[in-house]
Amino acid sequence: MSIILEAIRQIFKSPITLKYPFEKTDVPKDFRGRPVWNMQKCVGCGLCSRVCPSGAIEMIGKGLKAEIKHYVDRCIFCGQCSESCPRNAITMTDEFEHAGYDREKMIYEYRRES
Amino acid sequence: MEEDEILSELRRQLKEGIIDVKVPRKRRIFVWIRSEAFKNAIRRLKDMGFTHISTITAVDLKESFEVIYHFAYKGSIELSLRFNIPKENPRIPTITDVIPGAILYEREVHDLFGIDFIGHPDLIPLILPENWPRDIYPLRKEYSLEDLRGSILKAGRDERRVTAQ
Amino acid sequence: MAERICGICSDAHTTCYTQAIEDLLGIEAPPRAKYIRVIIAELERIHSHSLWLGIAAHEIGFDTLFMYLWRDRETVMDMLEFISGNRVHYAMNTIGGVRRDIPSEMTPKIKDGLDFLEKRIKYYIKTISSDRTIQKRTVDVGILKPKDAIELCAVGPTLRASGVKNDVRRDDPYAAYDEIPFNVVTHDGCDVFARIIVRCEEMLESINMIRYALDHMPAGMLRVRVPMAVEPNEAVSRVEAPRGELIHYARSNGTARPERYKVRSPTLANIPALCKMLMGQHVADIPIVLAGIDPCFACMDRLALIDVNTGRKKILDFNSLRENIRRMRGNCP
Repeated sequence: MSIILEAIRQIFKSPITLKYPFEKTDVPKDFRGRPVWNMQKCVGCGLCSRVCPSGAIEMIGKGLKAEIKHYVDRCIFCGQCSESCPRNAITMTDEFEHAGYDREKMIYEYRRES
Repeated sequence: MEEDEILSELRRQLKEGIIDVKVPRKRRIFVWIRSEAFKNAIRRLKDMGFTHISTITAVDLKESFEVIYHFAYKGSIELSLRFNIPKENPRIPTITDVIPGAILYEREVHDLFGIDFIGHPDLIPLILPENWPRDIYPLRKEYSLEDLRGSILKAGRDERRVTAQ
Repeated sequence: MAERICGICSDAHTTCYTQAIEDLLGIEAPPRAKYIRVIIAELERIHSHSLWLGIAAHEIGFDTLFMYLWRDRETVMDMLEFISGNRVHYAMNTIGGVRRDIPSEMTPKIKDGLDFLEKRIKYYIKTISSDRTIQKRTVDVGILKPKDAIELCAVGPTLRASGVKNDVRRDDPYAAYDEIPFNVVTHDGCDVFARIIVRCEEMLESINMIRYALDHMPAGMLRVRVPMAVEPNEAVSRVEAPRGELIHYARSNGTARPERYKVRSPTLANIPALCKMLMGQHVADIPIVLAGIDPCFACMDRLALIDVNTGRKKILDFNSLRENIRRMRGNCP
């Protein structure tokens, strides 16, 4: 019975849902979104690709010439890479919309600009 | 009962059936026994109050299998009863007549290791698909990941062919 | 990776995994980390139980309750996101402690959320115990007698709703559960209604536990240093997940790879009990009895039909079920 009263009360309230693609919720401060590499800081130690639990980070070459390939389709957004980076070159952004049709487009490449 | 009381009671009941015991920390007991004494040990344990079986684990030790029965005493003390069985002839009696709750765990171990539980009411595959090859047991160490991938693909192809027909 | 075993009780699996590995290595998490583990585990229990309650309401065709419950569940999801940085996979636990702190600035916001949840859950308990639809659909449905529950090794709320006082948090305390006072909720109803009430009251217990933990959290480190080499050793770790007792067994052989790692999730333990509950029930009651154990079906893709009168048994696997459905669709387009 009391649920009927509750339901009547709800009629006069605005909906709790958002019209998603047009309105978006705020993400909290420490949200773990897609990691982004700052290649000016990166020294190419390869620690991020070694600690990654799902093997989403590939390192080509070594040292300052290293190139990083980040496969977002494999990434589980745990934040381990940014936590273990000795130079703080990796930041977790608040991007969370990664869905897509093509896995090839989900690879981000980072290279040091000389 | 406390850990040491349980152990002394078990020693009194099973005598030379027990090979070794280990108490790594509070509320954890590991007991090694001879495989002949195992059914008797399980009956004794149930009488002592170990009515809950948490799970059954098997480990491939190259020449033999080690089977571990994890029991809980009134929810608190976790006792792992373990013994070795030869790999050529992995057959042990079922415990479902003593503890009916073990029925799915025995089926799981049978699926993954090929250990036969004599007297089990229904040993059909639990985890593996129906058309999985009968002589491949995924968690035995002689099968590499590549072998298993081949049989998974083959099982998937068979299934698609069956549904297409 | 252990987190990805389950999408709902992800924290229970990581807690269990980290405890097993900590046991193997012979280290112990610092006290503050233990309290944070308790807070996250209890928030997760609230989220899982309210999700289940919504599903149960949906299974008996009470979608109004389902919608309202899931709206209020967003509060606890937002709290978890706010603390850990993700709604579902919190990634809070690490071997040797936790990864993120809960600083004192967060406490007021968490407490506000808890106050709101407590009010709502009390309202839902009142609604559920007075509503005739729910009473008619759940009382005396899916009976599991205490003797059978013990015999078939049921776990978690399913066991407690049969009147058996059994909870890993109390019997085999891990993390900081030995320092936090709480009651083990039981109910003698043995039916689906008892399972609903047990889960609702557990949510209220969880709220009190989080409040206590937030007030009594000791200061200190979040994680300890982990030794790099693993000795050959073995460990059994148990955790009370929202669905019941979860057990992980780990064995190392001195190398970087484990010799054996075994996970037994609570749903598998409740399946034999479920078979017992379903015997002699109406077909229309199957969904709610099935949902009554809060199942996570990952490895059960078959169905056994047993005729109670003749004892004849017929097992339909996934393919023949599909065939049957196709045939039925063919008959009535």
